[in-house]
Amino acid sequence: MPYPQELKELIKVVEKTRSERVTRKKKNEEVPFLSLEERKKILDYHPDFREEGRREIKVGPSKGYRIAHEMVDMLEAKSRVNPDLVDLSRVDYKTDVLVIGGGGAGTSAALLAQEQGAKVIIATKLRHGDANTMMAEGGIQAATKGWKDSPYYHYLDVMGGGHFKNIPDLVDTLVTEAPDVILWLGKLGCNFSKFPDGTLKTLHGGGTCRKRMHYAADITGAEIMRTIRDEARNRSQDIKVIEFSPAVELILNENGECAGALLYNMETEEYFIVKAKAVIMATGGSGRLHIQNFMTTNHYGATADGIVIAYRAGVGICFLHTVQYHPTGVVFPEQAEGILITEKFRGSGANLINIDGQQFVNEREPRDVESAAVIKECVEKGRGVPTPTGKFGVWLDSPMIDTLSGEGTVEREFPGKFILYKRFGIDISKEPMLIYPTLHYQNGGLEYKSKGETTLPGLFVAGEAGGGVHGENRLMGNSLLDILVFGRIAGKNAADYAKSRSDMGRLTLDHVRAYHKGLEEADIQTDRVSPMLLPDYTLPHVKERQLTSCYVGTLR
Amino acid sequence: MKISYYPGCTLKTKAKNMDCPGVAALNALGVELVELPRWNCCGAVFSLADDDLLHLLAPVRDLIRVVEQGDNKLVVACSMCYNTLARANLLMRENSEKRHTINTFMEEERDYNGEVEVVHLLSFLRDEIGWEKIRESIKVPLRGLKIAPYYGCTLLRPQSVAIEPPEKRTLFKNLIETMGATVVDFPASTDCCSSYQILSNPDVGIETVSKILESAESWGAEAIVTSCPLCEYNLGKRQEDALRKHDKLKALPTFYFTQLLAIALGLGAEVCNFELNHNGVIRLMESKKFLTAA
Amino acid sequence: MNTTDTTKGESRETTSGKELVSIFVMGKKYEIPKNLTIMKAMEYAGYKYIRGCGCRGGICGACGTVYRKPGDYHIYVGLACQTVVEDGMYLTQLPFFPANRATYNLEAMGSDPEEVYKKYPELFRCVACNACTKVCPMDISVMDYISAIKQGDFEKATELSFDCIQCGLCTVRCMGEMSQYHIAQMVRRITGSKIKPESSHLKTMVDNIKTGRYTRAITDIKSMSEDQLRKVYQAREMEPSEAPEDWKPADNTYL
Repeated sequence: MPYPQELKELIKVVEKTRSERVTRKKKNEEVPFLSLEERKKILDYHPDFREEGRREIKVGPSKGYRIAHEMVDMLEAKSRVNPDLVDLSRVDYKTDVLVIGGGGAGTSAALLAQEQGAKVIIATKLRHGDANTMMAEGGIQAATKGWKDSPYYHYLDVMGGGHFKNIPDLVDTLVTEAPDVILWLGKLGCNFSKFPDGTLKTLHGGGTCRKRMHYAADITGAEIMRTIRDEARNRSQDIKVIEFSPAVELILNENGECAGALLYNMETEEYFIVKAKAVIMATGGSGRLHIQNFMTTNHYGATADGIVIAYRAGVGICFLHTVQYHPTGVVFPEQAEGILITEKFRGSGANLINIDGQQFVNEREPRDVESAAVIKECVEKGRGVPTPTGKFGVWLDSPMIDTLSGEGTVEREFPGKFILYKRFGIDISKEPMLIYPTLHYQNGGLEYKSKGETTLPGLFVAGEAGGGVHGENRLMGNSLLDILVFGRIAGKNAADYAKSRSDMGRLTLDHVRAYHKGLEEADIQTDRVSPMLLPDYTLPHVKERQLTSCYVGTLR
Repeated sequence: MKISYYPGCTLKTKAKNMDCPGVAALNALGVELVELPRWNCCGAVFSLADDDLLHLLAPVRDLIRVVEQGDNKLVVACSMCYNTLARANLLMRENSEKRHTINTFMEEERDYNGEVEVVHLLSFLRDEIGWEKIRESIKVPLRGLKIAPYYGCTLLRPQSVAIEPPEKRTLFKNLIETMGATVVDFPASTDCCSSYQILSNPDVGIETVSKILESAESWGAEAIVTSCPLCEYNLGKRQEDALRKHDKLKALPTFYFTQLLAIALGLGAEVCNFELNHNGVIRLMESKKFLTAA
Repeated sequence: MNTTDTTKGESRETTSGKELVSIFVMGKKYEIPKNLTIMKAMEYAGYKYIRGCGCRGGICGACGTVYRKPGDYHIYVGLACQTVVEDGMYLTQLPFFPANRATYNLEAMGSDPEEVYKKYPELFRCVACNACTKVCPMDISVMDYISAIKQGDFEKATELSFDCIQCGLCTVRCMGEMSQYHIAQMVRRITGSKIKPESSHLKTMVDNIKTGRYTRAITDIKSMSEDQLRKVYQAREMEPSEAPEDWKPADNTYL
């Protein structure tokens, strides 16, 4: 929808100061960058640094770790099933490798496992390919240009981006395997943007010292996802996909090894037992937990399921104390809420402006600083712009770009966003965008090692569900890389593991019983069940009429 | 001189050996055939059912594309496409009721009233370039080659879109003579090649092909020339089946007229994609020394 | 459809002052605040999605929706997550539609268009009715890419179909009963793997990594202390953003 009258009035305030800001910009008179101390101070407003936003986990392998309440709530919750009611002798599916999650990590894992001769099942919550992979626009990093780049430089960039906290072995694997991933995708028919002589086109990303971001127009993730999904479909003899059936618990054997999973058919509400010689956890991120009530760029299914069920089975978590917020997400119009507005807008000169028409931060501070500044402006200073949906945001003054670089620049350089807003009746070359930080990426996750293995024998991890490779902060272009590098590795190693395994032992859900006991011992009284599976967007006015006291027959 | 050109799907795939030499030959004659930037399959066969307007959508859309280019003339090389496009064009000109229905249905397109003139490449050679000009440009006269011109159905039927009167056929004759070759007119010149029968009813198809080949041979032809990929497929690629069935029959190389024209204009085998023809085509060209002469 | 129900509903206001519009979800009327997307309107009405909802950002193709407007015979389409409700909108989502997909072995095949024609002979049932293009929520010229495939021009088809989100609405409407988006997927993969030029620098790099060219450098840097690493990081040479493709760093120790 176009801006309503009250916002149009507020835009006039932005317009009033624009020419002066443009003049200053042209003279290179910028709002000064913050000193390291000032940065540290403003970062108190970053959600990661809000102590009241998190608490210690009281149970499980990472007991005592302080992370976001929303994530702790998922961990301090009961299973969706009563383990006593599950008959584990009734196995519905047997397979070599069970992949939980049908995004980029899961699908690449399935392909590689199949190539090792394994029979594979992909169990996925929504449709095959419904994942954050599909939404990644920017690109995929890999050092492929030997005349100016190598895995060594890629390694440095990754470590610097992650505040040097990353797990070195994982980073080593990430950067060393990267070029082979691009080659592999090419052979599968992924259309990367190229020069006529075949040289791959590459760009810089934030924090890279060499241009190594490969891309497929502005839909890199979608191009990768639909390509590998298509290949998995070509191998449907060996790769069976079970959609709308998330895993809700892992199944172990009496030796404490992973031996399968319990699937939940969301459409029929039945549970199914999969017995597998190896399991790969590739369930992705958690944006839909809406940590600290933030909107998100994430997919509908990003609810941390894999973290929850692997944690119950004894796998520790790491780096979940940091969450990546993208400073500029759409906060109005409501229908585009949470959608990411690329950094390139700020790089091209667009200021961030408060309700009084003032610039309150330099627009080229790092992501975390920028996010914190916007939050401070809205929450503490009360200079945010109120939206018709009751939220706050600040202006990203995109019309400045046309004033600075000539009429038509916005439309030419940002065709996707220009069209998106145009559909809503907003011309972003003439009217500014209303933005607010948006929940973007789960930096941490399950602990795993460079072969994808975890402390639970038989369980492997790949992609955003795992933590460590990005340290405390992921660089643009390394998430698509992560899912494919570690997806492939987990797939191959899980298949090898499956081959070596003969005796599967007796299946059990004892770990769930033990976890429930742990909750009791920690004195956690709750009705919560997890994993969440899907976010609940039912509004109060509906809920107050949902009065069914007991679910019977078709009236579930 | 530039002119809008409709190659048709087959000419872009299985019959590149008709398209490429045609474009090259016209280029050598000073005409650039400009492929429409946007076009779709013509529908391949003009539907005769009176109420089957659906199959007119495809050809009419192509004609609209010509108008969109600001042009009013379209050259077509494939006889089948020519026939379909020309008949659809005629209908749009003459039948106001159907024109209205079609235009209303295709509301996303501009209205079309038959503004475009659909011209077969053979007619274009005759009318817009002229035999004299072509003769002057011949570098490798096809001297001594006895060619049987095969019209098939779609160049001459129905009369309303025929490129010339069926009973007074001169076009192929003039072209062949202009290229320096000898014309072998034969009674089966305007017979049907059996069209799609060859697929649905191969026995009937092969018999028909055999009769045409026999007719051409008995009048002394060394080669057949055609302007339609389907005729070429039946008479050329399926010739082996006919030869196997009738041991009296001799192999008879089948060419597209664009290939012979390109050779005669001295463009050589490289523009002709002879590998897409059936066996014997190159051998004949070589034995006549038409390939080395360039 | 029940035409009596599609008469233009009057806008009204909720107690909270929000303007309401009427929409008809599979024929059933709901009053919804103006300016919501179809997806959020459905949720407002009390629907809880399992199917028909995916990325909520317009790229996954899960939420294709068809609708009509009062007194208008046209079929309209949109993605539920991107399309704003209109008063009187008469809609249903089409979260799934059966589609024919051929299995093929990409590695074993060449780039001959015949390979695609053999797998999808229905390509030649296109009558150019253009319903596919009209129904595409991504404004892709579906008929034109199908034409390009029939013309053997796979690069053009790849370009024209590149923004396809595989929602399947074209397949719903095709009178030739084609599954256009699966055909396009096969064609794009042939283009990417067999037609576009190969990247020789990529192959060189992969070979160099396999033969251990960078192993030593990375082993060394992995054993550095955080302080040392910070120094090396700070000192790294930056490729200027406007540098030409063949830019070379001054220090090539680790190349």
